Amino acid sequence: MVKLELRRDRIVARWGDWKSEWVIEPRYWRNPTIAITALFLLPLLVQSYPHILTMITTANLYAAIAIPLALQILGTARVNFGPQLYLGIGGYTAALLNLHWGWSPSLTFLAVIVVCGVIALLISPTTWIAKGLYFSLITLILPLTFLDVTFIWGDIFRGEVGLVGMSPLLNFTKVSWNYLAYYYLSLILMLLYLLVSDRIVRSRLGVNLAAINENEDVARMMGVNVDRYKVVCYVFPSILTGIVGWFIVHTFRTFAGVTYLPLEFMTKVLIIVIVGGRAFLYGAIPGAYLISIVEDSLRAVGPSNYFLFPLVLILLIVFLPRGEGLWGLYRKRRPRDYFPKLHVRRE
Amino acid sequence: MKEILIHIALYTVLWGSIYLLISLGFSLICGVLRIFHLGYGVTFVLAAYLVWTFMEHAHLGLLPSILLMVLVQIGFALIVFYKGIFERYLEEEEVLLSLSLLVFVAIAHLANYLFPVTAGVSLPTTVVDDVLTVGGSTIAYQMIVAAAVGVLVTVLYVLFFLKTRIGLIIRAVSQNLLAARLMGVNVNGMYYLAMVLSILPPTICLLVIAPFWGVDPFMGSPLLMTAMLIAILGGLGNLKGSIVASYLIGFIHATVSFLFVSRFMGLAALIVTLVVMIYRRGGIFAGETLW
Amino acid sequence: MLEITSVTKTFGGLAAVSEVSFSVKKGEVVGLIGPNGAGKTTLLNLICGIYKPDAGSIRFEGTEIAGLPPNRICRLGISRTYQIPQPFEAMTALNGVLVSVLNGKKRRRMSLSDAVFEASYYLEFVGLFSKRDTLARNLNLYELRMLELARALATTPKLLLLDETMAGLNPAEAERALEMIWNAQEQFDFTILWIEHVMKIIMKAAQRVVVLQYGKKIAEGPPEEIQGDPKIIEAYLGARYAQHP
Repeated sequence: MVKLELRRDRIVARWGDWKSEWVIEPRYWRNPTIAITALFLLPLLVQSYPHILTMITTANLYAAIAIPLALQILGTARVNFGPQLYLGIGGYTAALLNLHWGWSPSLTFLAVIVVCGVIALLISPTTWIAKGLYFSLITLILPLTFLDVTFIWGDIFRGEVGLVGMSPLLNFTKVSWNYLAYYYLSLILMLLYLLVSDRIVRSRLGVNLAAINENEDVARMMGVNVDRYKVVCYVFPSILTGIVGWFIVHTFRTFAGVTYLPLEFMTKVLIIVIVGGRAFLYGAIPGAYLISIVEDSLRAVGPSNYFLFPLVLILLIVFLPRGEGLWGLYRKRRPRDYFPKLHVRRE
Repeated sequence: MKEILIHIALYTVLWGSIYLLISLGFSLICGVLRIFHLGYGVTFVLAAYLVWTFMEHAHLGLLPSILLMVLVQIGFALIVFYKGIFERYLEEEEVLLSLSLLVFVAIAHLANYLFPVTAGVSLPTTVVDDVLTVGGSTIAYQMIVAAAVGVLVTVLYVLFFLKTRIGLIIRAVSQNLLAARLMGVNVNGMYYLAMVLSILPPTICLLVIAPFWGVDPFMGSPLLMTAMLIAILGGLGNLKGSIVASYLIGFIHATVSFLFVSRFMGLAALIVTLVVMIYRRGGIFAGETLW
Repeated sequence: MLEITSVTKTFGGLAAVSEVSFSVKKGEVVGLIGPNGAGKTTLLNLICGIYKPDAGSIRFEGTEIAGLPPNRICRLGISRTYQIPQPFEAMTALNGVLVSVLNGKKRRRMSLSDAVFEASYYLEFVGLFSKRDTLARNLNLYELRMLELARALATTPKLLLLDETMAGLNPAEAERALEMIWNAQEQFDFTILWIEHVMKIIMKAAQRVVVLQYGKKIAEGPPEEIQGDPKIIEAYLGARYAQHP
């Protein structure tokens, strides 16, 4: 069926007419391997501090939201100012189905994919109809409107209090093992997203997406079917974000729209993308960890952390080098890599 | 049925005129500086809480507090927003938008921290403290005053932009920056003027609606959303469009409130805006010009 | 191969192109000249699908292409270059040509490495192979023009639309570019419709020349005929020069 060949530096897979090559680059695998091993071993150091464990779990989830956002910005050539909309939609779908109809986590997983996909398809025409700035504004407004909707039907959505008591994904007898398991699950989720996005960006699809991000009209002239790529690049990351919502529902077992939908949460995710610089796909991980650590340390200060946190974020943006961002502090010499530019105002 | 129609017509005019005040400043910045001022909601919060601070803690009268507040607001807008954010990050728009938003969020939470709900912040800016009964509904006179002020301010602004020399210069800057520079326009000065002008309508709006709308640290958010919807619907940066869109959104809100359920006001406005975007990509009066 | 019949396009009140008709046969090199503002680039945009003509029809090898989206037109075999080069700025030269190779024709089965191989072939043809890893924003004008050409060739076109390729090049570079285009036409066998202002080049390269002024076609014929035509001279230089050659 699929014929695999091992050449000197690549693996070639063939199926009839179709051919795919995977270049093996051991030189470039050393640092990612070290980083991933470090991430896997991290909880063993902090096992005695459960709140640090929750903090790094949250960091993984932030990164898992920022990575699809980066992919979306690359492919639709527009900046999405409201990625948390699908977080809310996915979370509420999973929570409501679980609470009221007793669906198990695997069934809610499928439901979340379907619901997020359908809604994303309905909203996707804005990617090619609305000009860049209008698109950003509409995406800014959508989560806030969804928040309003949750308050309108407050009896279903439970407004401020949120929904509680959803079934967990895993349940060990020792509570600390739960925390550990959730960390590893979130880590695997984030790494999976990173792997998928990395594969996409380095493939033929990635070349086309980069062309669309650079100059849509010229890309059209070269034969790229821009509208189709934009829809795919809007729907797929939205589904991924919805899955993160599903994950939150079943691990933290409470879900309130007020936490995830308003502007404050959006600024956190957007800062991760911005601080990640132009290599924001990979810079999402250090960015997410940074934000999570800052957030947690400020929480110790007391109620004034609500206005200190935005101020600290402002300082971070102003003083961190933004050309390559956090990832630029550690940069590989790969001139062939494409570092996209965020375009907000786009015709 | 006739009553409902009267209600709808009445509230369209009232709300539309108030929305005019809310969206005027936003459209102005959009049209002249070509920047989306996501921190626009901060003018409302600053207006309310600065006046309260000056009155309660500095024991100034109402009028001096208002004047001092306007000065502080102008300083804040010019130094923090214009010099600090807009000028430095003109090329990197995502940074600009995020920073403005963060400043807004920071100020809102600061206000919430210093003056929580229990502090009972309210502004004694009621002009007429009575209610009017018209066609079966009671309307506070203050709301009528607010609407009238809205129309008055808008008329003044339109006259300023159409009839005065400086208004002409600002319109030129909004259409073609390079050409205006070539004609010797002091663009920076015009930008300062535009920022100052954009502060006045929301401040006045807050002062007149505080008695019946209530003051709340997080009131900037929904007001910003309304301003953005109006700007998108009317065409970004276009004053004509803002005026038409304000009344249109007022009409939508009034219709939804009185014919259906009032909870769906915001959602209905958003849906209508999206539908209009499908047919006219730039809003109703699409065009990169202020008027 | 390409038949343009009575094509009209108005913007607001201005008729950018009005009732222009001509045709291009397979294997020809047709020049499109005219003073600035004559509507040449607009005509090119109409053929490429960026604009839709208000009236008239454009037929390419028998199929009507007047309303099709640009990427369909590219698939049918029409490519263009731009007057002001529009490379993909943050991508390397190789990546830029790679986009064309992956999307130009029905080559879906191509893996990334094969596509890179093909893209390097086109880069080598125009002489840019040594610059394949430079970001497009670091190339000079001649290299950018060659990159545009490579990008257009990589979509294996049947009809190539060139938009003022020689503008801004000094005479030596212009000679090299012309050589390159002739080589390409010999090797890849396509038809050229060429907008140009540099008269020497057009008179040397084109077999037939179409002249536009204010959106209308005012003359058509072999270059020698056009050169002496007083109407053309008047169009370019004004009536005074037409009377005293």
